Amino acid sequence: MADSDAHDETFEAEALPQMDAVYRFALRLSKSEDRAQDLTQETFLRAYQNWEKYTQGTKVKSWLFTICRNLFLRKEERGKRHDEIVTGVADKDPRQISREATVFMAVRDRDPEGHFWREMVDARVLEAIDDLPDEFREAVVLSDLEGLPYQEVAEIVDVPVGTVKSRLFRGRRILQEALYEYAVQEGIIGEQTAARIRNRGEASK
Amino acid sequence: MKWIHELRRLLRRSNRKISKEALAEAVTCQEAAERIFEWLDNELDPELEAKVGAHLETCARCYPFLVFEEAFQEAIAKVEQSETAPGDLRDRIMQSLETEGFESSGSSSA
Repeated sequence: MADSDAHDETFEAEALPQMDAVYRFALRLSKSEDRAQDLTQETFLRAYQNWEKYTQGTKVKSWLFTICRNLFLRKEERGKRHDEIVTGVADKDPRQISREATVFMAVRDRDPEGHFWREMVDARVLEAIDDLPDEFREAVVLSDLEGLPYQEVAEIVDVPVGTVKSRLFRGRRILQEALYEYAVQEGIIGEQTAARIRNRGEASK
Repeated sequence: MKWIHELRRLLRRSNRKISKEALAEAVTCQEAAERIFEWLDNELDPELEAKVGAHLETCARCYPFLVFEEAFQEAIAKVEQSETAPGDLRDRIMQSLETEGFESSGSSSA
């Protein structure tokens, strides 16, 4: 049973240590603790059943994320057509998403070096990321929180690298605007500049 | 012949300067702004990376934008996701794996 032992040993050494990372990814995808737990459990079950398909020593986290995301799409979005799931606001209505650096334009006289970004509480940043539309959230989570290169993000999300770049660009812009609103609410930056951002946003639609 | 060495040194310095300026002018402010995230993420090919970098670091209008976006990127990158898989989830996962035939060596940190 040497093969079976090696199978279990490599799975235990490589896949199981990623449990927290997969759980967090599932949490960011589903925005629900219960669903994240179910997704994590199913991901590891599928991974174990298909472990021989994984090339040991390569990107195990990306492989597990791919399984997790596919399960999420199948499970949570059952009933919708695949292209409706993977093509959302980002690709359908690009004009509605600001490509301009509205936050920078608004604060450049007051805080051009962006010191206020450092005042952000981690929990609030995660909340803002969780509020991003699905396509943008996936890209931002995988690139910014998990630190994966564009190519790996593209493979997990199953889109071209160019689409990853576009989603990241827009996702980060939306995130900046959301965090800026928070900075205003918390008094880190004044209301006057927030109003200017809102006005610019309205004008660009 | 010392003056020849001096002349060569001046020429090399002059070429470097021209080269750096030429690189910076190879992209417009708009192109540099559109590529800023890719540049910060080290995702550009070496040639474009050099052009965009030279522009962002030497353009009086773009440099403040670079500093601002860099501060944003750093703030997001330092965010720690503190959530961990709950203990009962770990137990459930291990149980479901065991029903599939998995045998733990007992050395896993999971």
